Amino acid sequence: MITFGDAILYLSILVSLVALAGLVLKETKSNSPLTRLASPAVFAAAGLLAFDFLLLAYYFVTSDFSLDYVWSYSSRDLPLIYKISGTWAGQQGTYLLWVLVIFLSAAWLAQTTKHATALARRTQIVTVLIGIYFIILTLVQSPFKSILERPDVVSLIAKGTLPPNFVPAEGNGLNTLLVNFWMIIHPPLMFIGYAAVTIPFAAAIVYLLTKDEGWEELSRQWARFAWLFLGLGIAVGGVWAYLVLGWGGFWSWDPVETASFVPWLTLTGFLHAAALHRKNKTTFSIAAPLLAAVSFVLVLYAAIVVRSGLFNSVHAFGETSTGTLLLGSIVITSIVSVVLGMKRYLGEPENVEEDWGLWSKRNIFYLSLLLFVILAFISFWGITFPAFIQLTQNVKVNVASDTKNFFNVWSYPFTIILLLALGFCLNFKESEKEKQKQTLFVVIAITVLTMFARTQNFYVLDHTSPFFVREPAIYKLIGSISLLSIFPPLIYVGASIIQRLADHLRSKSIRPRIKGIGLAMVHISVVLIIFGAVVSSTLDTKIDGINIPLDAKGQVVDVGDGYGIKVVDYSTGSLTEASTTAIGDVLANPSSFEGKSLKISGTVTNVSSMQGHGTLAELTDSSGSMWVFLGNENASMDTTLTVTGSLLPGFEQPVLDVTGMESSAQENYNVQSVKLEVYQNGNKIGSGTAEYLEGKGGSGTFPMVQSSITGTEVYVIFQGLGGSIISQGTIAKTNDIYVPLTLQIKPAIDFVWLGIALLAIGIILIMAMKTRAKD
Amino acid sequence: MKTKKLMSILVLIVIIAFAWGTYNIALKDFRLTDTNYTYLGGLTWYHSASGLNKGLQDAQKENKPVLMYFWAVWCQYCAEFDANTLGNPQVKNILQSDYVLVAMDLDVDKDVANTYRVSYPPYVIFMDPKGNVLERVTGYVGPDSFLPMVKQIRDKVRSK
Repeated sequence: MITFGDAILYLSILVSLVALAGLVLKETKSNSPLTRLASPAVFAAAGLLAFDFLLLAYYFVTSDFSLDYVWSYSSRDLPLIYKISGTWAGQQGTYLLWVLVIFLSAAWLAQTTKHATALARRTQIVTVLIGIYFIILTLVQSPFKSILERPDVVSLIAKGTLPPNFVPAEGNGLNTLLVNFWMIIHPPLMFIGYAAVTIPFAAAIVYLLTKDEGWEELSRQWARFAWLFLGLGIAVGGVWAYLVLGWGGFWSWDPVETASFVPWLTLTGFLHAAALHRKNKTTFSIAAPLLAAVSFVLVLYAAIVVRSGLFNSVHAFGETSTGTLLLGSIVITSIVSVVLGMKRYLGEPENVEEDWGLWSKRNIFYLSLLLFVILAFISFWGITFPAFIQLTQNVKVNVASDTKNFFNVWSYPFTIILLLALGFCLNFKESEKEKQKQTLFVVIAITVLTMFARTQNFYVLDHTSPFFVREPAIYKLIGSISLLSIFPPLIYVGASIIQRLADHLRSKSIRPRIKGIGLAMVHISVVLIIFGAVVSSTLDTKIDGINIPLDAKGQVVDVGDGYGIKVVDYSTGSLTEASTTAIGDVLANPSSFEGKSLKISGTVTNVSSMQGHGTLAELTDSSGSMWVFLGNENASMDTTLTVTGSLLPGFEQPVLDVTGMESSAQENYNVQSVKLEVYQNGNKIGSGTAEYLEGKGGSGTFPMVQSSITGTEVYVIFQGLGGSIISQGTIAKTNDIYVPLTLQIKPAIDFVWLGIALLAIGIILIMAMKTRAKD
Repeated sequence: MKTKKLMSILVLIVIIAFAWGTYNIALKDFRLTDTNYTYLGGLTWYHSASGLNKGLQDAQKENKPVLMYFWAVWCQYCAEFDANTLGNPQVKNILQSDYVLVAMDLDVDKDVANTYRVSYPPYVIFMDPKGNVLERVTGYVGPDSFLPMVKQIRDKVRSK
């Protein structure tokens, strides 16, 4: 059965084929009327896909559960904003978003270039080809698939349990972890970033193939745009892990985070290569396009890891799935990139360039590019080879005794070298080369010396961790480098940025000045983020397993290390609070509810069966208890019940005639929150609310986070009072109820947030000051 | 040109050496496979979807609760959970004698994870012998909070 949404996807394939035909005909200098249709067809395809995306959002807003995807990621009780964000909560919706952004960029390309140059036309051909591939990918796991195609629904209809035109009354609901602000914006940022890499890739391929001039001019802004969105997407993902998952940190080298980080690194490499390539076309004439191409391949790779997992995708290879299609496209694009790169390299006349020696800007720059590649490879390899070993040998391996040790140990030395190269390049002047070399040597000497400093557990690896002793010798060796060695390179880079900025500000016109400020912001953010990350992850204090009796509310309880916590208040609520009425309110004024639909929730405290006339149950919540008439349904004691219905007339006490029921309060979004105050040596250092959200088969913690002027954050995770304790109605006895908390003090973490903000603002300034190639 | 070429070759050698070295170190030192997953807290586990079925059969025979543990190789908090919480002598005793244990590798047993709507590790699901979910423990918890839960659920299932 083809749904309306799918029909539009098919139509957009057709329209894009028209665009493709028009563009190809134009290449052959044909005068066919199709050539004039190329641009309109691209616009039409983009419009169709935009309409399709809005259509999907509309289905979500109206809770149309006849679609499998809407049913899977939404429910009626969600607030509107989370109904909308359900559109991109799952794989199917994000691919639709991806393909939409590809065609929006194609439309932009058509609009700005009018397909006037061969380069623009050819780039558009590659872009549209990729776009069509992604429409097919979206169709394979379409978000518009009918619920009637679900295997379980099909079998139930065959058995006659469900009617043939079955539409579920309520959706499956959005995973609790996704019910927060960060998850509204994280997927769009990420997938727009993924999609924006398409044009740099297409232009690079065309350049490698034809040597068409101006390819980097075409792709530079897109690459910056993609870099910004990917970077922000990664950062927001980190913030989410910090604030919602309660991981206590923003970065933990898990495969999903790491996979997105890899293309961001190569894209960073590309931006740097393009900066020099732009000034001299022979510089990085192969490195720059290859980095753009590799970034695109790695984006596809990240999509696999993020959405279905590497192991599962490869394992299921051959089945018609998006995983298979993505793997196929990785193979094709890698081969195309490598072959074209090789061809260009072998075709290049030997020794056109003179040897500049190591101590030249372009060769130190080249070293930086290589370092970006090395860092990207370390991350790539760390998430890839365990899956490879599992697949080929059916052996589970970890990359180190503790996963993060692998990434930290190997990334650290190369990060140091990269920082040194950065400090050198940023401010390089041919005339002062010898002096600058001397400065660099001094910094290198200090850095190497500080590596040997012996301080109390301030090393690349945590020496007190039980995992440390199990690491192999080389990990222990690199892991014993003192982290003090990060500071000389950071200071060196900082000083270079300031000198460079001063040069820029001396410029007469305004544009280079603003661009200089942008450049300085982006690079200073690197210093801030590395500083914040190193300090906050090594000098933090963590006290877990704190249990404060609910009885001790209002008192400061000592939790060790000089810290104390006061539970000021504890309360429960629901995200959809308005929908249920407190029983006390009904008892107080039953007449005001007469003839209206009513929803109440409570614990079953009494059940009475009226022979042949159905069941009555007594529901109790914190405000009172009342009887509800369940008809032929049954209820068991001590379970939580949420029922809707209307009051039966003619009873002295209000009795609810139940028309619909939900079996358990677990299926709603319940929020528990504690108001806290944190003390250190008797002084208050922070206060706020920590929350615990539970429901729809999951839970999320929303820690209390308070930052201070020094950049330190007080961070308290509340794990929630156990679900069984509350549902059994024993909440009245508070003496054996504990509030479980974890306290963390994170120094310097605010520098990371500041760095991310500067990074974003800086690149936007640079993008705004786009300069022509000949400037 | 020469310097550039030299640098490229050098970096290529570094990358290959790194890849080869880490691959072999991992195979030699960080191999996790044994048939019972005993590296998870030193306990004996059923695993994967078929293991869950076997586990539920055992649970019904012996009227024991089922503890299903979703973990991943790369998950740092799982490693801590294994060492501190599952490895806690008191917790370990109760789990060994009174529970049926099933472990799911989140990277491999994705279907089971989807069925139970588990999206990240560590994640523990307690079930009664019929397979009804009694309690979910999401993320890392220390032995102080885990021990009372383990006792409470055992007593609840026994009393039925």
